[in-house]
Amino acid sequence: MAYSDKVLDHYNTPRNVGSLDRNSSSVGTGMVGAPECGDVMKLQIQVNDATGIIEDAKFKTFGCGSAIASSSLATEWLKGKSVDEALQIKNTDIVNELSLPPVKIHCSVLAEDAIKAAISDYRKKQGSEVAAPVAQTVA
Amino acid sequence: MTCWNCGADRPARFCDACKALQPPVREYFAFFELEPKLVLDDKDLQTRFYALSRKLHPDLFSRKSPTENEYALEASSVLNDAYRTLRDPIARQLYVLKLEGFDIGEQSTKDVPPELLEEVFELNMALEEARMGDADALAQLPGFRARFEAMRAETDLAIAAVSAAWDATHEKQHLNDLRGHLNRRKYITNLIDKTNVPDRV
Repeated sequence: MAYSDKVLDHYNTPRNVGSLDRNSSSVGTGMVGAPECGDVMKLQIQVNDATGIIEDAKFKTFGCGSAIASSSLATEWLKGKSVDEALQIKNTDIVNELSLPPVKIHCSVLAEDAIKAAISDYRKKQGSEVAAPVAQTVA
Repeated sequence: MTCWNCGADRPARFCDACKALQPPVREYFAFFELEPKLVLDDKDLQTRFYALSRKLHPDLFSRKSPTENEYALEASSVLNDAYRTLRDPIARQLYVLKLEGFDIGEQSTKDVPPELLEEVFELNMALEEARMGDADALAQLPGFRARFEAMRAETDLAIAAVSAAWDATHEKQHLNDLRGHLNRRKYITNLIDKTNVPDRV
């Protein structure tokens, strides 16, 4: 099975690798993992508290090319979106954009879970009464 | 269930009445006439495997009816899959989990304790730093490996304990614990694989 050009592109030149200040109240951190393949993914967002816009996003993923590409793409998409808009990102969007084959769909699910976990963490810090729903995506 | 050949009730592997070979049972433990157990006697399993291999060899059925021929082929194929799965402890544990509805492939990230993810993430970071670094950093890799192997040995002890507990009681909680230990083991095994010194040196 060959990786698509877009996966290779994100894999070879991943965007937004790194980390944000975990202790900042405007940073949300999502740490998720797929034990069946041993992947672990950390995704962080920095939100402008006044506008609710995600101004920066960083990730670090230890996993296969598709997991790295999925999280790299996710951080690209997150920047400039409002938190509510970010919650609309679905794993299927990532699958389509990266042309992921069926065996790699769980990598996109992981990325969606990471987005939701990061937003949930951010909202918890903000003391918002509406917590982000826990991801219920089915591969 | 009745015999496909003579209609007798409840046939075993071979019909008691007409001796015709029946379609194989698909469940691996039942195929070996064993109770589902996480801990198996390897020697006993091997003995059963050889005995069944002789009994079910397709050559023995080449002059029988096409139906029996077909069942002999199917049975040999199940036999090989069953033996391959049950003789390997990890494959066997995963199989039992699946049988009991704890499919490891169908868990979501919520099933993984956050502490484990944090720990694995930090270990990966440290390992990556060593791999990307100079000769001194690379020299740390065997130390990482030893540490991870000790962690895996510890996990294996926990797996053995919880396996024995489930075999004795069949309480679901033990399978839940087993799944947790297997997740951890998978992460540790991945880390061990990454402790080989990279080719670039």
